[in-house]
This record gives sequence, structure tokens and C-alpha cells, in this order.
Amino acid sequence: MKTYTGASRRRLRAPLALGVAAVLLSACGTEQEGSSAAGGAAEDCANADEAQAEYETAWTEAAEQLGLDKLEPTDERVCEVDTSEWAAEPKSGDSYRIAFAAQGPTNSWALTNEEAFKYRADELGVEVLYAAANGDATVQVDNIQQLASQDPDAMVVVPMGEGITGQVRAATEQGIPVILCAGRLGEDSGAVSTVTRQYELLGTMYAEWLVQQLGGKGQVAVLSGLAGVPTAEYQKAAALEVFESYPDIEVVTEQYTEWSPTVAKTVAANLVTQYPDLAGIWSDSGYGDLGVVQAYQEAGKPVPPMTGDAINAFLKAVQGTDVKFALSSFPPEQSMDCLDTAMSVLEGEPVLDKVYINSPSFTHEQIDEYVRPECTDNLFVPALLPDEELARLELC
Amino acid sequence: MSGVAPTGPATGSADPQLAPAVSTPSIGLLQRAVTVLAPLAGLGVVLLLAAVTTPGFYSSDVLRLVLFQAGLIGVTAVGQTLVLLVGGIDLSIGAVVGLTTVIVAGYTGGSDDRLLTAVLLALGAGALVGALNGVLVVRRQVPAFVATFATFVLVQGVITAWTRGAPSGNIPGGLSPLGTGRFLGLPLPAWVFLAVAVIAAVVLGRTGLGRRVYATGANARATALSGVRTGWIIAGCYVACALLAVLAGLINAGYIGYVDARLSRSLDLNSVAAAVIGGIALTGGRGRIGQTVVGVALLAVLLTWLRQLGAGPGVQLAVSGSVILLAVWLQKNGWTVRSPRRKKHGDGVR
Repeated sequence: MKTYTGASRRRLRAPLALGVAAVLLSACGTEQEGSSAAGGAAEDCANADEAQAEYETAWTEAAEQLGLDKLEPTDERVCEVDTSEWAAEPKSGDSYRIAFAAQGPTNSWALTNEEAFKYRADELGVEVLYAAANGDATVQVDNIQQLASQDPDAMVVVPMGEGITGQVRAATEQGIPVILCAGRLGEDSGAVSTVTRQYELLGTMYAEWLVQQLGGKGQVAVLSGLAGVPTAEYQKAAALEVFESYPDIEVVTEQYTEWSPTVAKTVAANLVTQYPDLAGIWSDSGYGDLGVVQAYQEAGKPVPPMTGDAINAFLKAVQGTDVKFALSSFPPEQSMDCLDTAMSVLEGEPVLDKVYINSPSFTHEQIDEYVRPECTDNLFVPALLPDEELARLELC
Repeated sequence: MSGVAPTGPATGSADPQLAPAVSTPSIGLLQRAVTVLAPLAGLGVVLLLAAVTTPGFYSSDVLRLVLFQAGLIGVTAVGQTLVLLVGGIDLSIGAVVGLTTVIVAGYTGGSDDRLLTAVLLALGAGALVGALNGVLVVRRQVPAFVATFATFVLVQGVITAWTRGAPSGNIPGGLSPLGTGRFLGLPLPAWVFLAVAVIAAVVLGRTGLGRRVYATGANARATALSGVRTGWIIAGCYVACALLAVLAGLINAGYIGYVDARLSRSLDLNSVAAAVIGGIALTGGRGRIGQTVVGVALLAVLLTWLRQLGAGPGVQLAVSGSVILLAVWLQKNGWTVRSPRRKKHGDGVR
């Protein structure tokens, strides 16, 4: 698997700024999660060909959906894990008790992520032991300890940061199979499997689509989410790698939008003034794209082709306009796959050590298929939960 | 504004270290000049650096960006200045800004018909938060840092519980001009800031209420002994600060047109930074709104320049922090002089 070290390649053009800013940059440099995906992979990779083919499927489908000529999967070794050692009857009662160390409903993604997990648990007749971290790795360390003390049959963890690795390992050593969900840790975590949408796929597909739109040349701005957050940094690193492979593509600036339309609008307003020849905007966020579109429209300038995740607010805002975009998603409902994987482990069925979630990708040409005018801005599309569940969550 | 010199009852200084400093008119004049000139010099340096390093920085488009930034930061900075003048600090500004957008979007559902009521509700909520801060600080003697941080967390919790972590909704179009409109070619938020600053400067510099604010910040106990209800003064400053945060929230809402869950997280820092950079003393009782205006201008230029350079938020925060540290260090070394009123009398009790 590829590793990405130091996504901070910000370039300060001004010599006068370098003196102060270089020191500050080094102090504020971003840190990333462990460069490897989930642990648990055996020395010998079982059923490697089939697992590898499944891994590459997501890349192939994304290329087809975005009409890309090429989309090379990043090097990744996916193996099958023998879970017979974890197979077990429920430890207490008739149903399994699955611990869910969740992010906590700090935003609509997390809310949907958790509700989808509970929805699937209801379907499967599984009892959920829930703990919310409120987005804080330190809180999650406590949560995992407390959940482990209740001796669940398995544990699903939405990792809030590398700092929880020790607790995850402790839980596995206690005999609890752990599934990492919508995120990843280093190989030393001991997790049985990692279930997530692959960051590198998102970053790469957006970049390749943008390059194709620009005919392989032009100025590009890279707008990432939050500095140091893996969801943002891995995608960005993958995108930069793509752009570097095209000599006529010039990345003129790398900025962070904090996944906020307000910040993104401020950033984009600066782009409008500073880079009048900007040809494309690589972004990882539909929320950020909202601000970008507004900034360009208010300046009376055409909106460059852009990318981002598929949030309903953006689709509603650009429907009927000539804005060109490519979107995909880091689906919140992947928590259902996480629970499914946990259940497979408890039943002793082989699982992959890395389960990369597939999710639709689309462009402006398919906007009418995906936009949900009747739903709120916060809905991630396409939504996988049934309409009545979305209504209950006040998302539709 | 900056020239408005508060006059009024003497509450000056009995501090033996300060007394000599103000007893010599020439030294006092020099310090006063430094107080005004240091932030201006900083502004000049940043403008010069921007001119050298960023071609096109002085275009009308970039100037408008600076003025918008100044407007947004400035409204909250004036509120923060009021609180700093009475010896406090308000860390709940960002939460009130966020709460405002949630209330407006939630109540109006994007409809202009309900905008006025929503604004009144937001003002009510803001006043409530400010009053809570005031009660905690005045009645319960909770340190301002702790009280307002607790309020920040409380309000964020209320927003999360109310919206289930997923605030959403459109802001009525009627609010859009407040965030995106222009008057005489300049962003409306800058004009709003100017109006707020002028009003605050007049109140602080020309009214008895202003003199009580300075006196309370300089020495609350002595001021209370002289018959001023300092508790009301302090609480009033917190309420005024919260109401200005509501105004900033309305500007923000009008600017983007959506509820932004990640909005305003930096406004607390920026409001403190602008005031301190301008020379408002963290210890209370010293500083003028004019200084805050200069601090806001410096910070707005600095942030815009850093963005134009392509610096990320980490660098922006680090530079802001460094400038605050520099400002505080200079204050400790005589940058900030005591308020003109106290220099005039020089016989206070501080």
C-alpha cells in the first residue's frame, strides 16, 4: 500500500513571508493517521486474487461512472481473514451485543452514520451498546474502555484518531473482535477488518476527472477540508499525486475550507482575485463547493469545473445552472456494512481485512437523478436509508 | 473616534509603579503616541509587505475582501472591547453567532415573512446568553474565562441537541444584502462595523455610562464605593457583546445564505485579537474603540494577505497568535497607556 508522508506542501510564494511562515508551517504541520490501513492482515495473504479483484471493482466502476479513460487503483494488498477463532454464540441471552464506539451526532454525516447502524441492528435483531465520542479521540479512548468492560460480542469503532490504537488493541486482546468503520488505524491496532470508503479512490477520481475536463493543462486550486484530518489529508495527497503526473497541470494553491461554505466562500473570493486564469477546483467537500459557487457568481465570473462529495445542499444550489462538477460520497450508511462485517466475523465467515465500500459517483449531467429537492440540505445522496427513516431523522 | 477622550470621575492610579509614568507630561505624551502609533505602524508594515509580496493586493476586489473581513471581525471586536474594558473576556461569541443562524434558518424556513420575528428571537436568545454570562461573572464571581467558555459549550450543546447535530435550512433572501450588499461600492458589513464603532465610541467617550465602564474596569471595588452599580455595568457589557454577536451572526447568515455548522469558530479568537492588537488592555479600564478599529484593520489586512499568499488556517492562526503575543508583550512594556481620563487626574486608586 502506498504511504503518504506530510501532506503539507503549501508553498508561500513570497520570499518575505518565508522567514516567518516557514517556522510557523513547521510548527503547524499536519499529522496523519498511520499510513497503513487496518491491521489484522496475516503474513500469508489468503484468497488474494479474489480479494484484489473485489478491491479493484470500486475503481473500475468509478471510472465508468465519471467517464474516465483511466483510473489506476493505488497499490493495495487486500486479503481474506480467517475468522473461525472469533466465531461464537452470543455471550449473554439470545442475541449478540455489539458495541458501537461512534463519532457522536456532531454533524449530519455522523447522525446518519449512527442511525443507519441502529437501523441495521434492528433489522438483524442485535443489541447495540452505544457510546458517542463527540468527535474527540480522547473521549473515545474512555468510551472503548467502558464498552469493552461490558464484554460485548464484537465492537465497531469509528476511529477519531490514531490515539485510540492502544485501546483498540487492548479490546482485541481481551477477546473482542473489533471492526474499524469509516476510518482506519495502523496495522498494530489488531482490528479484524477495516470497512471504509477508500480515501485515495475519492481523491484520485476527482483529480483525474478534473484533468480530463481541462484537457490535461491549466491552473488548478486544491481546496481540502481540515488540516491534519485523515479524511481530508489522504484525499488531498492522492489528488496531488495525480496532478504531479501531468506536467501541464499547475496546482497554484492549496487551501483548507474547514468544510464550511462560509470559509470556502472567503477562500474562493481570494481565488477569484488572485488567479483569474484558474481552470479547475479540486475540492473534497460539497459544503465547501457551495461557497465557491457563490463567490464566483457574485464576482460575475464563470464557475470553474469542480469536485466534491454529494451533499444535497450543493445539488439544490447548482441545479439548473451550467456549473460542471463530479461528485461522489463517503457514505454515512457504510456503518451498516460495518455491522454486517462484525456479524460475519461472529459467525466465523471469512471477511476481507479491508472492505472498501463502493458508492455511486456522478457528474453534472446526472444531477436530476440524484438531487432530492424535497429533502434537507444535509442529506448525503444517494441516501440508502428508506424514506420513512429519513423522515424520522428529519432529513426528508 | 480614537480621539475621543473619556473624562469623568477620577479613579486613577495609586500604583507606585504607574504614578511616576503619568506624572510627567512628556512621558505620558510619548506613551500615548506609542499607543496609537504602534498598531498603525504594524498596519503599515503589513500593508507594505502585502504590496511587495502580493501583486494586485491593492485592487478594488481585494480591498473589498479586506473590508468585508474587517466588517465581520469588527462587529464582534467592538463587543469584545466592551467586555475587555470591564476586565472580562467573552469566549461565547462564536456560539452566539452560530445560534443566530440556526434560529433564523429554523424559524423562517427561508421565508422573508418571518424574518423580523426570527431576528427578534435571535436577539432575545443573544441577550439571554449575555445575561447568563453577566450573572455568572457578577453574582457568582466565576472567572470570565471559565463562565463564558462554559456558556459556549452550553450553547453548542443546545444547538446540537436541537438540530440533532445536523443544522440545516436556508436563510431568507431578505437578509442577503446585510452580508453581500454594497453601499457606495463598499461591502455593507464594513459600514455596519463603522456605525457600531462610532456609536460605541460616542457612548464610551462622551457619556456617563462610558465613564462608568472605564471606572469599573479600572477598579470595580473603588467604583462601587463611589456609588456606581458596577454589577449592572459589567453585566450590561456582556449583554451588549452578545447582541453584537447576534448582529455578526446575521451578517454571516446573509453572506452565505445557509446554516453553516462550522461557522464562526474563529470569531472568538479574532475578536480578542483585534482588540488586543489595537491596544485594549486585557486587565480592563484601558483603551478606546478607535484602537480596536485599527486592530481590526490590521487583522483583516493580515488575514487577507495570508490567504492571498496561500497560507493555510494553521499559519493564519499561528500568525494571529504571534501578533497577539507581540501586542501583549508590548503592552507589558509600556505600549498601552492608561486611559486619558486617568492620566488627566493621575490620582486614582488602582
